[in-house]
Amino acid sequence: MLGFRSVAGSRSTLQTLTRKNQMTFNSLRYFTIPFLPTLPQNPGGVKGDINDNLKHPKSDKLSSSIHWKIEKVLAIGLIPLVSMSLIQGAGVSTLVDLSLSYTLLMHCYVGFQSCIIDYIPKRVYGHWHNRAMYLLTLGSLLSALGIYEMNLGDKNNGSVSLTSRLWTSKNEQVVEEVAK
Amino acid sequence: MFMLRNPLLASLRSSYKPNTITNRLFSINKNLLQTPAKGQEILLKQRANRPISPHLTIYQPQITWYLSSVHRVSGVLLGAIFFGVSIAYGINKIYDFGLNDDSLVEFYKTNVPTWLDYTGKASVAYLFTFHFANGIRHLVWDKGSGFTIKGIYKGGYSVLAVCAVAGSYLFSKAF
Repeated sequence: MLGFRSVAGSRSTLQTLTRKNQMTFNSLRYFTIPFLPTLPQNPGGVKGDINDNLKHPKSDKLSSSIHWKIEKVLAIGLIPLVSMSLIQGAGVSTLVDLSLSYTLLMHCYVGFQSCIIDYIPKRVYGHWHNRAMYLLTLGSLLSALGIYEMNLGDKNNGSVSLTSRLWTSKNEQVVEEVAK
Repeated sequence: MFMLRNPLLASLRSSYKPNTITNRLFSINKNLLQTPAKGQEILLKQRANRPISPHLTIYQPQITWYLSSVHRVSGVLLGAIFFGVSIAYGINKIYDFGLNDDSLVEFYKTNVPTWLDYTGKASVAYLFTFHFANGIRHLVWDKGSGFTIKGIYKGGYSVLAVCAVAGSYLFSKAF
């Protein structure tokens, strides 16, 4: 339970009251993810009584401005990489292909992270928020391995080449029928 | 002079009883006194009755917030495709199940029906060009320019135009 840990320990009556009210006034969010359990919410979204001190949230080195700058660097870096790949197509160099794929991976990671923060918030879903984050990190590690394989593997020519090949390939049965 | 002759004031003056008034003003109604726990209970009940801020559904569809949500949705869809393919390659690196460029293209050619092929490629073409163009628009805002109502509408319509033209061009390459 997130709610009543911060209420001062001596006020046992208040604790039971808070607990009782948490049970009755549950989460009133409009849209929740149906298969994930939600935590009971404090009435009105407010915690504790009027005499509680403000608890400052923990500071995070990567939050706010540094995180924002990283996002911008990734987004700006993608513009030339994507343009080069679009213009040159399958003939793009492995270096550009690798940088494109890994920058895209980091861009996707940051984007999915903010989606998790917005739609699976810790306040409502508790440890399921952390699980979603771990799942994303695990997937990104696998993806990083996959990008390495895609670009430097023996039988593969890189993600740009694969994309352009997939883009121009059609269902063969239809092609044959048309040819007949 | 006026005060003395005023009948209303005169009637008030006649009914003036100092004890009653002071009692009413300064006495404490014992029924309204609460213990701290009871007060907290009342507070919690009041908090539960607080109005919830309205959700997006109450707003009129406008280009300002519609394009913003399309930007996120397109990013998530394209990211999901990217993650899907690259994670498949990553798993293939660990448990070798014969996935490579040739086999993937072969699988695509034999198993993906034409309607899905064209729907998917059209979606990817338009969503990708939209996300690319709108991403640049966002970066321009982050630089600090064009962030006025007029600029936002201008940018929004330009992005839609670019998306229509470049997306169609990209989709035409699939044929």
